[in-house]
Amino acid sequence: MRRSSTRKTGQSNSAASVNSSATDLFRSASSKATSKELERIDQLFYSYANRSSNLIDPEGIEVLCSDVEVDHTDVRILMLAWKMKAEKQGYFTLEEWRRGLKALRTDTVSKLKKALPELEKEVRRPSNFVDFYSYAFQYCLTEEKQKSIDIESICELLDLVLGSQFQAQVDSFVEYLKTQNDYKVINMDQWMGFFRFCNEISFPDLRNYDPELAWPLILDNFVEWRRAKHS
Amino acid sequence: MQRRLGRFWNMQSMRYTIIMPVGLVSKNCTGVLELEKMSAPKRNFQIGPLKRQIVMDPNYADKTWKILEEGIHEIYNCNISGLSFEELYRNAYNMVLHKFGEKLYSGLVTTMTHHLEVISKSIEAAQGGLFLEELNRKWADHNKALQMIRDILMYMDRTFIPSTHKTPVHELGLNLWRDNIIHSAKIQTRLQDTLLDLVLRERTGEVINRGLMRNVIKMLMDLGSSVYQDDFEKHFLEVSADFYRAESQQFIECCDCGEYLKKAERRLNEEMERVSHYLDAKSEAKITSVVEKEMVESHMQRLVHMENSGLINMLVDDKYEDLGRMYSLFRRVPNGLFIIRDVMTSHIRSTGKQLVTDPERLKDPVDFVQRLLDEKDKNDKIINLAFNNDKTFQNALNSSFEYFINLNSRSPEFISLFVDDKLRKGLKGVSEEDVEIVLDKVMMLFRYLQEKDVFEKYYKQHLAKRLLSGKTVSDDAERSLIVKLKTECGYQFTSKLEGMFTDMKTSEDTMQGFYASSFAETGDGPTLAVQVLTTGSWPTQPSATCNLPAEILGVCEKFRGYYLGTHTGRRLSWQTNMGTADLKATFGRGQKHELNVSTHQMCALMLFNNADRLSYKEIEQATEIPASDLKRCLQSMACVKGKNILRKEPMSKDIAEDDAFFVNDKFSSKFYKVKIGTVVAQRESEPENQETRQRVEEDRKPQIEAAIVRIMKSRRVLDHNNIVAEVTKQLQSRFLPSPVLIKKRIESLIEREFLERDKVDRKLYRYLA
Repeated sequence: MRRSSTRKTGQSNSAASVNSSATDLFRSASSKATSKELERIDQLFYSYANRSSNLIDPEGIEVLCSDVEVDHTDVRILMLAWKMKAEKQGYFTLEEWRRGLKALRTDTVSKLKKALPELEKEVRRPSNFVDFYSYAFQYCLTEEKQKSIDIESICELLDLVLGSQFQAQVDSFVEYLKTQNDYKVINMDQWMGFFRFCNEISFPDLRNYDPELAWPLILDNFVEWRRAKHS
Repeated sequence: MQRRLGRFWNMQSMRYTIIMPVGLVSKNCTGVLELEKMSAPKRNFQIGPLKRQIVMDPNYADKTWKILEEGIHEIYNCNISGLSFEELYRNAYNMVLHKFGEKLYSGLVTTMTHHLEVISKSIEAAQGGLFLEELNRKWADHNKALQMIRDILMYMDRTFIPSTHKTPVHELGLNLWRDNIIHSAKIQTRLQDTLLDLVLRERTGEVINRGLMRNVIKMLMDLGSSVYQDDFEKHFLEVSADFYRAESQQFIECCDCGEYLKKAERRLNEEMERVSHYLDAKSEAKITSVVEKEMVESHMQRLVHMENSGLINMLVDDKYEDLGRMYSLFRRVPNGLFIIRDVMTSHIRSTGKQLVTDPERLKDPVDFVQRLLDEKDKNDKIINLAFNNDKTFQNALNSSFEYFINLNSRSPEFISLFVDDKLRKGLKGVSEEDVEIVLDKVMMLFRYLQEKDVFEKYYKQHLAKRLLSGKTVSDDAERSLIVKLKTECGYQFTSKLEGMFTDMKTSEDTMQGFYASSFAETGDGPTLAVQVLTTGSWPTQPSATCNLPAEILGVCEKFRGYYLGTHTGRRLSWQTNMGTADLKATFGRGQKHELNVSTHQMCALMLFNNADRLSYKEIEQATEIPASDLKRCLQSMACVKGKNILRKEPMSKDIAEDDAFFVNDKFSSKFYKVKIGTVVAQRESEPENQETRQRVEEDRKPQIEAAIVRIMKSRRVLDHNNIVAEVTKQLQSRFLPSPVLIKKRIESLIEREFLERDKVDRKLYRYLA
């Protein structure tokens, strides 16, 4: 083993990677991935990455999507981004790529494709889903000091992220958001509030909703709107 | 000495001298020690039983009893003159002593019973009205007899009876009377009926023999409270209930509320009087509660809601006496006062609601407020005169006022206008005490307001106008009101208002300084009077553009130079929309007048010194006064009768771009000084009102946020409901924040990272330092 690792070290030096220290860290941190796998991961990265920026940009992502046979608006891509802890929407850095694929233990496109259902299951586990849900919001904040997302995008995001689990609530809330005039954007607090709402409040009767409690105001208004509509 | 039974018998003062009976035994003395013959000196004495037997006369007991029986008989026949107390007493004594107590007692019972049976017959035989009299008389006799008998048998009463636990003589006599007379079949019912019949007759207006009633009732009471209750009181109460039930039903059909209450009160008093005259005092509470129940409680709702005469009519017509009567009657029954209070409250609320939402009333704010005050006075008087100043009614009145005053969102503005009117002219010539009374009434209304911050805004505006136009009736009155507001709301509320007064005073001093200084030129330039207002204390006005005439500009600049010389680092901006000017004008036919106008009006007028005709457009260009202000100021000079110093072509009220203005050479007024400018406080127009309200809403946001931050800073972690409660409490002296509003501000603070939600318990908020 030792001999092979020396050989690998030698090989990596000749690979002329720009961030060798990062690579060392990467290597030293990983105990399970073999060097061959890591190499393949990197190669895969470069096959999609933009030559000049050394990042996978939206175009590259689109190619990736067609390769794994998933629509680029599919929630599983978002889940992949979460797994990578990707910071910027539409872009993957090498580090993020490595992080994600290593954690998924995939190094080829076909393995990646096969790993997606597992990933989905993992994300949907209650312990992870809150984190994913909150990540989804932050991922969409494109500008530096941005704290809220416009209604249009929120509606799409809601459907994407919660649609399968809470279709009825999402549909109703989206309808409300589109018809109301009080709010033009949604912030993180309101975003998280809605998730809590879906989990705690019985739907569609809204029996146990108490506006006197600390629900975000937008949800108070939503409930009122629904009750007025259905009375 | 032998005492004789007779007229002078009086138990209480009797002294007995017992003479040892001598002839009791026929033979030797009893119980006398007999010394047997003495034997040798050393022999002991022995006391042994009597060797000789005492032999009693076997018929002794019978004979003795016969004497006593005869005595009792005579007593009952009122034949006492031939009797000897001594003898009878002695006989009774001896019987008891010789162990014949039982015979004595049972003999007594038999004898008395027999006599009572006879008495009973005689009572039964009495006809009609004489029945009661006979009963009463016989009762009196019986008591007398009983007294004597008891005296005679006193020894037995004191010795034999207690030891055998038999009923004492007096009590026995009463019981026998009760059993043989009162409860005799032929008397019992008749007695009840007679008594109740008399009561009924008295109730229907007849005069009855109260003395006789009293005696008979007393007899029943003496026989024991259960006799009184079972034989009389119980039935009395039942019959009374029926009587009053029927009577109240009859009354309620034919009387109006006031009359009915009078009748009920009368009946109540009657019954109380009846009790005091001939019934047991303990019956009072019982009979009054019967009357209260039948006459008042059963008909409360119907009385209160009676058409044309019920409670509401009484309130409207100030029927103090009737209301007072209703209060004191209803007070006696459960829920009585509650009903009155309830109906009164809803009446006040609906009247009040009508008052504040009537569109006619809203046209005159001063009248509006005056009506509120009148309504309060009216109700205060009712509570004072008729409802015994009852605190619960006071509270109901206060809560009603608070309810409807706040139904109209313009109440704060109107109250301020009312005050303005009073301080401007209404209180002219009024004594200091009366001024205080009016101001206290205003404060009372102020306390009812939930939106005190709105009042503050308007009050500031109106005060500013009053101060700047110098149009206040009394400086003392102004200050007095400020003090009252400070006491009510704290220093914060009035600090700015006081600042306004200070500015006025300071300005006076500044002007003196200006004219004493080198900056002021003596000449025939215009005389300037400047009030320097500290921004922040005064209501904010956006200062508009306005080109002042050259002469004015000149002297203004001189003042600016003087002022900034002594106060460096300050900035002055002329508020042309708040000033006034006095102009000396000469019109076409030589008539001279002094015109008091606003600054804007002055600018427009001065243009006519250099032109005879000016179009609206030209005036606008020259003065640069904003269109809406300019139009209003020109209208007030050209279109108002008596104030038309300008002439407009065409004569219409509206002002178009090309309308032409001329000096009205034909202007006339009987006064030399003519006031044109209007700087008086007025009821706001709808759009102005909306604007003010918006400003108030905006001002509230930071206040709410400040309160939230204050609370969270000290508590660190707090749940939602408590924050809402605390914030409301902190701000309640200014306005009532809605929970929705508070929630909005909390969310805004979360977004700006002053607070965060607790990660575990979503009801909690955390302060982020």
